[in-house]
Amino acid sequence: MVISGRVPLLLLLGVVAVVLRPSAGTVVLWLLAVALFVGADLLLAPSSGSVGLHRRPPGTVRLGDPAESALTVANDGGRTLRLEVRDAWQPTAGATGNRHRVSLPGGERRVLRTALRPWRRGDLRAFGVTVRSWGPLHLAAKQRTYDVPGSVRSLPPFESRKHLPSRLAQLRELDGRAAVRIRGAGTEFDSLREYVRGDDVRSIDWRASARTPHVVVRTWQPERDRRVVLVLDTSRTAAGRVGGTGDQGGMPRLDAAMDAALLLAALASRAGDRVDFVAGDRRVRARLRAAGARDIAARLQESMADLEPTIVEADWDTLAGAVQGFGKQRALVVLLTPVEPSAVQQGLLPVLPTLTRHHRVVLASVRDPELNRLADERGTVDEVYDAAAAEQELRRREWTADVLHRLGVHVVDADAERLPPALADHYLALKAQGLL
Amino acid sequence: MTTTTAPPPTTAPDPGEVATAGFWRRNRVWFYVGIALAVALALSARVSQGDQEFSAPLDPQNPDPDGAQALAQVLEDEGVDVTIVRTADALHDAEVGRRTTVLVTGSDQLAPSTTRRLRDDAGSAEIVLVEPPPYVLSEIQDDVEPAHASDETTGDCADDRFDGLELAVDAATGYDTPDGCFPSNDGFVLAQGPGATTYFGAGEALSNDQVLRGDNAAVALRLLGGHDRLVWYLPTYDDAADDEAVSLWTFAPSWLEPALWLTFFATIALIWWRGRRLGRLATEPLPVVVRAVETTRSRGRMYRRADDRPYAGGALRAAARRRLADHLRLGRGASESEVITAVAHHLGRPEEAIGALLAHHAPVPGSDHGLVQLAQELTQLDREVRRG
Repeated sequence: MVISGRVPLLLLLGVVAVVLRPSAGTVVLWLLAVALFVGADLLLAPSSGSVGLHRRPPGTVRLGDPAESALTVANDGGRTLRLEVRDAWQPTAGATGNRHRVSLPGGERRVLRTALRPWRRGDLRAFGVTVRSWGPLHLAAKQRTYDVPGSVRSLPPFESRKHLPSRLAQLRELDGRAAVRIRGAGTEFDSLREYVRGDDVRSIDWRASARTPHVVVRTWQPERDRRVVLVLDTSRTAAGRVGGTGDQGGMPRLDAAMDAALLLAALASRAGDRVDFVAGDRRVRARLRAAGARDIAARLQESMADLEPTIVEADWDTLAGAVQGFGKQRALVVLLTPVEPSAVQQGLLPVLPTLTRHHRVVLASVRDPELNRLADERGTVDEVYDAAAAEQELRRREWTADVLHRLGVHVVDADAERLPPALADHYLALKAQGLL
Repeated sequence: MTTTTAPPPTTAPDPGEVATAGFWRRNRVWFYVGIALAVALALSARVSQGDQEFSAPLDPQNPDPDGAQALAQVLEDEGVDVTIVRTADALHDAEVGRRTTVLVTGSDQLAPSTTRRLRDDAGSAEIVLVEPPPYVLSEIQDDVEPAHASDETTGDCADDRFDGLELAVDAATGYDTPDGCFPSNDGFVLAQGPGATTYFGAGEALSNDQVLRGDNAAVALRLLGGHDRLVWYLPTYDDAADDEAVSLWTFAPSWLEPALWLTFFATIALIWWRGRRLGRLATEPLPVVVRAVETTRSRGRMYRRADDRPYAGGALRAAARRRLADHLRLGRGASESEVITAVAHHLGRPEEAIGALLAHHAPVPGSDHGLVQLAQELTQLDREVRRG
């Protein structure tokens, strides 16, 4: 039972009656009268049981973009309903204006729209629909909350999209149109064309030149149809926040790694390579085979949306098994996991040889700039001890990176913002050398 | 701990004691000032207590100009038995007979119930009410109004005690009773009430200050010395019955209380209206927030707690050697002595000095301060090498 603001007003109106007839009896009579009206209104208020609630899924949006929740309210009974409806969402869904007043004649339906603007990645869920059904005097109402499931999927923002055009331009330079190519084992013969000044004299095809009056050069195109496997680590090491200040500042390593994976996937798919994706910690949490898909970034975002770091150690046996499950063909395996000495030594190192035997392995790590800052600050005793610990940690990292390097794994270690372009550049370098 | 030996007796005073003594010596002046102030306060309180005990106007024990100690003394000297009564109970206990006068000064403190008790206790005795206010008058007699009277009046009346006497005060009050003495305007300053009650409207004439003015003394003595015994009653509000208190509520309009009740219920309804939520509070499943450097920081705190300077110093030196080796392009495998030689050569400084900073087996700083210094010197060295 709910009362409206009219009830206290009605009670205050009793002051007039009390002034006219000042006695305790007037007060009691007035209270009784108001209670009678409120009770009658409550009895006359139609039950919200005859309300049909139906939600249209708001679908998928990129983090920070607006969405809309459409809730259909149907009056299945014959009486007119005067409703107050709250379409509640979890706070990070950013629902604004989610309280609706609607007068619904019998048999009609109405769509209530609530604007959403998610500000957290993942599946953001509806919390419940609360319906208030007012009586004819609008004094009292019946209230009930219904569970109408629904969720809006908020995709990773793909901030590094801005780096894509410049990397695509570099990719085109690799292409045969510019004859400046390095002849390597993996590059593929494209065509013959007339020599123009500036072309590398080493690429002149003498045999073909002999048959024509002009000097002819061979052109090459970068290798195509290679495989790229992205392995995203969602274990405890991905939960650490980097960058920013304060407890809530910065972002988890996982989000930075996602950004890097998205840029690489977009670039690789444009370069004609096939991209596979697997994410997990103790078990595989997401897997995507995207052979030849054009909108690989969007599909990747979709499958990454609901990934959250878990506080467990990664099981690299499982993840390596998932990589092998994509096929035996040689691939570029990108491990998106921080160079965390203990985690790498105990979890990753034992399974690396099986991966490096078949594939080219790159480890992309989100570095924490805070660690270097900690090592540099030496003003007070506390800071010096912290600096010693940080130096120790940096040394262990360096050592771990060395070990990985010796096992044939290339380590790309960069800050959260610089990791996506650094990884993309490394991919382009490999492609230029035909090492995929 | 039975083997613990007692500390050897020393002549040097305990540092705590020294500090306490110093405190006393430094603040001695303030200490004395404090004591003096306390004594002065106590004395003045005691002195003023004696003064203030009976400060009411026309109090028989008040020697001030507005008191009436003079009159009380003169009456006693004249052989009148003056009994001072300050509560209604004491008045009840006092022997009030037919040959008694009951004088009431400060009658503005007579509550209705006290007035009734006064009249009951006085019985047939003569009552003299000094300057009774209207609410006291209305308890005794209907339709008597006090009115302003002229300053000097003559006792123009049938009572030969006052006939021909002159009453002179600064302000007097007259009462419009049918009978009385000292007529002024429409009433009498000495008015005859019902029974043996008299209203005296010139209380000032009894005060120490004015009693000698005109024939005031004669009027007072004749009025009060008529009988052998005088009961001087000074009523107080303390004797009033509980339900006689006058509060703000008495003046409030009659609808105020029920209106307040209605407002109270309206407030409850308001709280109910605003307090009822439209559904539960929406909650957020919050992720775990971990700073990535948290483990490094806690390791640093652990070193600090253990005071492990050798380890911390070693780590800092090793990091500095590694960085310098990188910078001077000595390669990863460069040994400690190679790095020291290269740095000394690069900066043109003796190898021993560089070795004391960088070498793994160089002496470890003995204090936290030394460790901070070492860390800063290593940073400085790094900077110099980069610059040079």
